[in-house]
Amino acid sequence: MTSTLTDRTSRAMGTYTYTSRPRVLPCQRRRYRDNLLQPEEEPMRYGNIMYDRRVIRGNTYALHTGSLLGQPDPLELQKEQAAKRRALARKRAQEQLRPRTPEPVEGRKHVDVQTELYLEEIADRIIEVDMECQTDAFLDRPPTPLFIPAKTGRDVATQILEGELFDFDLEVKPMLEVLVGKTIEQALLEVMEEEELANLRASQYAYEEIRNVELAEVQRLEEQERRHREEKERRKKQQWEIVNKHNETAQKISARAFAQRYLADLLPSVFSSLRDSGYFYDPIERDIEIGFLPWLMNEVEKTMEYSMVGRTVLDLLIREVVEKRLNNYEQNISQTQRPQSDRDYLQRTQYDTRSSSQERRFMEERELLGQDEDTEMRRTLGNTDPAAGGAWEP
Amino acid sequence: MAHARISMYLPPDINPTKAAIAYGCRALPKLNEELNSEDLLTRQKALMALCDLMHDPEYVYEAINLGCLESLKSLLKDSDDLVRIKTTEVLYIMATHNVGRNGFLENNVILALSFLMNDPYSLCRQNLHQAFKHLAQLPSGAHGIVDSGLISPLVWKLQREEENIQELILDTLASCLQEDATEALSSGAVPFLKQKLVSDNKDIRSKAARALIAISIPLGGKNQVWKHDVIPILVHLLKDKDGEVQANAAGALMYATVTTEGKYAALEAEANYPLLQLLFSPLIKVRLNATKALTMLAEAPEGRKFLQLHVSTFRELESDQNEAVRRAAHIAIQVIEWKP
Repeated sequence: MTSTLTDRTSRAMGTYTYTSRPRVLPCQRRRYRDNLLQPEEEPMRYGNIMYDRRVIRGNTYALHTGSLLGQPDPLELQKEQAAKRRALARKRAQEQLRPRTPEPVEGRKHVDVQTELYLEEIADRIIEVDMECQTDAFLDRPPTPLFIPAKTGRDVATQILEGELFDFDLEVKPMLEVLVGKTIEQALLEVMEEEELANLRASQYAYEEIRNVELAEVQRLEEQERRHREEKERRKKQQWEIVNKHNETAQKISARAFAQRYLADLLPSVFSSLRDSGYFYDPIERDIEIGFLPWLMNEVEKTMEYSMVGRTVLDLLIREVVEKRLNNYEQNISQTQRPQSDRDYLQRTQYDTRSSSQERRFMEERELLGQDEDTEMRRTLGNTDPAAGGAWEP
Repeated sequence: MAHARISMYLPPDINPTKAAIAYGCRALPKLNEELNSEDLLTRQKALMALCDLMHDPEYVYEAINLGCLESLKSLLKDSDDLVRIKTTEVLYIMATHNVGRNGFLENNVILALSFLMNDPYSLCRQNLHQAFKHLAQLPSGAHGIVDSGLISPLVWKLQREEENIQELILDTLASCLQEDATEALSSGAVPFLKQKLVSDNKDIRSKAARALIAISIPLGGKNQVWKHDVIPILVHLLKDKDGEVQANAAGALMYATVTTEGKYAALEAEANYPLLQLLFSPLIKVRLNATKALTMLAEAPEGRKFLQLHVSTFRELESDQNEAVRRAAHIAIQVIEWKP
């Protein structure tokens, strides 16, 4: 910067050293519009120092205290304002004193009249002339330049020569170690993470293979079991049906054989039983049996009854006679011997009754015999009937 | 001339787009306050700082305890795009940690996130779907997604989204369907997945096949897969060049052929030959799934007849390095040589 420049040139010249080298001050008056883009091209306008308002001249005891940087001095302001007021007052006073044209008489009016030689047209309309002037087109307001505040403070520079501060290679080593170590550690972590994931995935893959295979095996075995079981069931059912059918046919055969055999005798037995029960009869024989023989028997019975009746009558007769004789005898005896004859009488009566009963019994036996014969004949005849009837029943 | 500034350039570690992180335990509360501020720039800067912090699980835990999730939820509805993108990114990073996932489930973040599924910025949706994908890998997270009824919108979105987002949706769906496939079945996911199976991108094909695996685990899924004639397409995919696609297609076949109809459909589509080819593949998963699928086919008499000629291949597999493959080959031989 400027200070360094100063130092260098002064060193070259060898006479003076300046903190701030004398330089020409530029004039504050700007003639042209500010061209912010090229400030360097315009030549610096220098102002004459004799006419520079910043240079204080003359008496320094009554200085302008407040006129720095254009700030208005309050004393001067007041003075100026007073002067202005006085001037205004003066002007107003003078205006009042100035002679004016008298007012017009009543009924008249003042009119302006031109009295020159050459009359002028006076019109209200102001003569206007259009003048054109062209300036440059408006430029956009350029952006505000970066505000670089004025430098304050002192500039100091220093120079560090090689080898003065530290040895780079030595110092950098621990830092590098740390940096590289951390980087490699991070990289290792990432690689390990990926490797772990890859291992996991590989083991998952292998596991899945085996799992799939095992599952398929299980399902296949299940299926096989099911099929075998179904097959077994079907075969068992078939066998069972076969056995059933076999049994049925055997039963049918035996039933048929038995029925056949049973019914083989049926016809002759039927005929024989029918014949036995008298359904096949010889009509004449039947007729004889039904008609003739009963009548015969009845007649026989009648005759026998007659004989029986006769015999009974005979018996009664005999009995009466005997009883009478007995009574007579008893009377006779009783008249003679009463006590011993009781016994004898009793015995005799018993003997008599016995004998008479014996006689009767003989008669009865004969009759009975005769009857027995009859009954036998009847029984045989009757036997045939129940026999015939009995043959029907079973 | 002395100035307080040393140079005209800012120091190299200050990122003007990030908010300054306070020291120690004041970091997260201050960021939480800044998230709720009125000034847009403050919010954005706070979000960027939060993104970096969320990689550390301890910070995630602290953030959830402080209730940052509430502020983040309200920020999801913000009108500025960068805010939304960054918020979804923060949530996605949180979802990679288990603490974060649990916090999501407790604070109903799923519902708030689902409103952004129609966002015009693809980056926002991508972060959103990545968050869902990570959430779905946890069983309770998958249940949460299913319970919020997000399966049908996700399936519907499958049609209209870009490819990389489609991949994320397919991953999410596969994990969710492993938990509960009933809703997906009722919203008709099988035809959509069938369409994706024939796409050009191999990742989409493999992920669609994986989703089909998950959907055909329950019986209803198997029946739907058979009804929609997906089995011939799966057989076609067995001849695909990419190993993942082959593996997943074999897996889907393995599940679909458990039912008798599926078995016969696969036999009709001539699935035997490609599956036999796959037994020689270098990927373990391919061999495993192919073995299992052939085991299923061997349950049917025609399949058994065909495979009896190839028992030697299975014997070779019995001496394979992987234990699961050995076991599967052993079971396959048992099934093939079974006499009724």
